[in-house]
Amino acid sequence: MSAAQHQAFVLGSVSFVAFFFVICFVLSSRRTKFSDFAACNLVFVAATFYAVALLDISGERTEVFLAIMTELPVVLIVAWICLALAGGLPSHLGARPVEPVARRTWLRKVLEFTPILLLFFVILACVVGLIRPSPAMHLYAPAPPAFFALKALIMIPEGFCSALAALTFILAGRSSGLRGRLYFKNLAFAVGMLGIASIAFESTVVASFRVWASEEGRQGILEKLIALETCFTVVCILAFAAGLSLRYTPTVAGPLLHRLQMGWLHAQEQFESLEWRAVNTGAADRLTTASDAVALACRLRNLPESDTEKALATIRVVAMMKDPSSETRYITPEAARELYELQEEILRDSALSSKISWAVNLRSRAQEYQTVKSAPLHHALRAALDLIDRQDQNSRIQARPLWHWIAAVSAADAKIVDSPAPVQLEGQDGYRTAVEAYCAAKTTLQKLDTDDRERRVEYGRPQTQA
Amino acid sequence: MPKRGFGNVLWKELGRPWRQLRDISGARSGCHEPRSLLTAAEFQEELAILGLSCRRFDPKDYADALGDYLNICINIHVIPDEWYPELSRRLAISGRLGEIRYSERLTLAAIFVPGSLPPLVLTLTILHELGHLAAGDLLVDPSEEVGGSHHQHSEEAEFATASTRKGKKLARGFPFAEEALREREANLRASYALFAGCLGNESPYAYAMYSVL
Repeated sequence: MSAAQHQAFVLGSVSFVAFFFVICFVLSSRRTKFSDFAACNLVFVAATFYAVALLDISGERTEVFLAIMTELPVVLIVAWICLALAGGLPSHLGARPVEPVARRTWLRKVLEFTPILLLFFVILACVVGLIRPSPAMHLYAPAPPAFFALKALIMIPEGFCSALAALTFILAGRSSGLRGRLYFKNLAFAVGMLGIASIAFESTVVASFRVWASEEGRQGILEKLIALETCFTVVCILAFAAGLSLRYTPTVAGPLLHRLQMGWLHAQEQFESLEWRAVNTGAADRLTTASDAVALACRLRNLPESDTEKALATIRVVAMMKDPSSETRYITPEAARELYELQEEILRDSALSSKISWAVNLRSRAQEYQTVKSAPLHHALRAALDLIDRQDQNSRIQARPLWHWIAAVSAADAKIVDSPAPVQLEGQDGYRTAVEAYCAAKTTLQKLDTDDRERRVEYGRPQTQA
Repeated sequence: MPKRGFGNVLWKELGRPWRQLRDISGARSGCHEPRSLLTAAEFQEELAILGLSCRRFDPKDYADALGDYLNICINIHVIPDEWYPELSRRLAISGRLGEIRYSERLTLAAIFVPGSLPPLVLTLTILHELGHLAAGDLLVDPSEEVGGSHHQHSEEAEFATASTRKGKKLARGFPFAEEALREREANLRASYALFAGCLGNESPYAYAMYSVL
């Protein structure tokens, strides 16, 4: 076995061990498309080096062919990474471009073109190497200028593409608002790609020394350069290992978010918009008078504005659920229960529920936000379902806030729901207070209405001459 | 030379049925390549173009960023009911929640929404109208409009698209030929925008744009 064959055998064994490491530790704990690709590539590298070790590489053309084969895995890695950064991988791999690439069309086009560019130069190097063969698998032997051309054709484009990928990773890492772990992950990959770029440019320098350096000083310089290349390789491997091992799990899982978008948001939007439509088209006439009395009753009892909103929302939801018109046919007790369950699911996830919010008033400068919990609809749904579901006339009703009782009194007064039986209200002082407040509000409204009508009649009467 | 000539002829002949098929389908529908509905990941890409990826934003920020990208001025008008009480009633009767007016000549877009809308619906309505602008729906030629009712399809299903007048849009694909699909996609854009704006850098789709390997 020659020195070159021995070296190839060692490299093949290292690649094979690395493949086992990836299979046992990386793929089992965190499987990504890149780790799958890296595992396949390592098998390819190991097979190539073992082939070099087993084959008799006496001919220079065979050496050129094998040299290109050993470079190919790195070229493939660079091409894959550039394509992944550009979001150009097949759609079944679910690829999207990295953020800085999405913002820069030129960068996306360049990165997408990278695999074709690299492949073209590998084929060109192959042609040059086969026309002008050289001792490509030797380490220190002098070589003809064709060897430099062979190396430069592969290494210079590979170096530039790697440097571009490194720059893209740096841009991604520098993006504002990025979490620390993702910053370091991108930084690690940037170092890894810079390592590949350095190895590529350094290999070109090594080739130039083999071609043009004088006999006496050549071996010494080449030994130093190969040691430097080993350092770059170690840094590169460590950086990639660090990048792959740095994990970041988003607070909100994608499937949960998808379910919320399709389920909760759609249902809540439909509920609120149908309610708004029904009120504005006059489909729920009974609501107007009931709402005015509810609002005034709440004010008479000095309830906060948020409680008034809840009471008004409750009376609206109950009216919609009991309304037989086609406008509100989607608002059923079943739909309300389903929406309430979805809201409860969000509220159980405190991290998520605290983040989902929307502005209460877009016209106001002082932004006030509403959440699933603070939105009146959440409380209204529970209260409305409570009023609708009150079937068992013998069971006692649990304690409820005053706004709930005002809404209940109003709904019963408007003949939307039945009044609770006296047995059910045993010990419920709140209900009595609500009845008093509601009656007072209704009397006030009736008085205002009478006064208003009289005033109109007064203004409408023809003026008589004195 | 004769060999090259034969190759050219063979290539042309092989390609003819495909071209004819493409021309026929294109002429009949006046459509571009069909595509599926927008996904959350694709929407995140649009946000990255606008510089809003990984950031929290509200409808106004989205409108400003979209306006800057499209080189138009987008004004959002939330009309209080006291100012124009008829607006809510008219919109409610017509089954709409808001309206967008777009002038290519004046490079101006105006969104009108009634102030009486519940806060969540108001936010989603504004985002829905902005979604039409982002998709380029307002650039669809009226002659390319396809009516008809739209049924629920799977998310992977592909639909015909329409050609547009010359103008800038944010979406990579062309707008759908069918109006119901354009509305459905605008709803999707609105829901994606609401969640992306709330979650900022904690959105799983934003995270995916910084971790490609």
